[in-house]
Amino acid sequence: MTDDELDQRVRASILAEEVDASRVAASVRNQIRKPRRVALLALAAAAASIALAAFLWPQIPSVCAAAARDHEREIVNGEPRRWLTDLSAIDSLAEKQGVPASAIAALGTTGYRLERGRLCFLKKQIFLHLVYTKGGSQYSVYLRSPSGEPSFSGSVRGGGNLAYFETNHVTAVFVAHAPGADARAFARASAMAFQGLPS
Amino acid sequence: MPHLAALLRVARRLTLDPESAEDLAQETMLLAWRGFHGFQTGTNARAWLFRILFNAFHAAARKPPAVASGLSGVQAKTQEALEIAEALDALPIEQRTVLLMCVVEGFTCREVAGILDLPIGTVMSRLSRARQELRQSLAPMAKEAYR
Repeated sequence: MTDDELDQRVRASILAEEVDASRVAASVRNQIRKPRRVALLALAAAAASIALAAFLWPQIPSVCAAAARDHEREIVNGEPRRWLTDLSAIDSLAEKQGVPASAIAALGTTGYRLERGRLCFLKKQIFLHLVYTKGGSQYSVYLRSPSGEPSFSGSVRGGGNLAYFETNHVTAVFVAHAPGADARAFARASAMAFQGLPS
Repeated sequence: MPHLAALLRVARRLTLDPESAEDLAQETMLLAWRGFHGFQTGTNARAWLFRILFNAFHAAARKPPAVASGLSGVQAKTQEALEIAEALDALPIEQRTVLLMCVVEGFTCREVAGILDLPIGTVMSRLSRARQELRQSLAPMAKEAYR
């Protein structure tokens, strides 16, 4: 038997055997798809988280950032503005904007003294800008009637010189700039004072 | 899935066990899928796949069962095919591998040398010995045929 004859017979015999690769092919396809599915699920979860964060996050920081800029212009840099210093005029202005006078009165119980107030725009929303003093530092408080959920959030957000919270009475942003002036402490005291207000 | 049948056919002859062969073929395709960036376009994809198959086979240190599982008898269609398959399975794995790749799968000795990472002289001598042993094993059958 020559090499060619032998090769031909071996080739014919082995190639004639049935080879059913369908089970292996199905298994391979399944294995390949699995990580893809996991990756797609992870991607979808990440996208949902980003969408949720984008939906929830910008509303608070954008108002706070606008408040910080406003405080810097009007209080730190002292840009000229027309301010009301009369308490009853401030109360009246507050009532017109839906901010209860009781809220301003509650702020007065925190140990911070109201100095002046005016209306201003933060992110295209009208806020009552109040300036308080304590220990030689000036604090800006921005109040407006609550725009979102009426329930009290119970938490004070922000840190350092900026704090934010919302009750069923007001949306409040607190800003302080001077070293040692803690806007969060004022916000915390105010939040506690607001809790005693009638709903 | 291209070349899967050929891979499975060779895997059967390497492992001498249908289930191990399917595992090996599956592993080969998955390794190829994951390492596809390592494949150079324009080169021989079939040779690349067989190289992965042999690497996987050796890496897993798969050893054929001590007693052949009757693989030949299951697939062979004729008495001659059965005897050839049995003779092939009885060859030492190095010779069997070279014979399968050169004779059944149609690779050249140079290509097989590249796939198995062996000198071409080693491939040629293994092929020669494989043919010699196969011829001896099949001699009674040849005599029968000429009777």
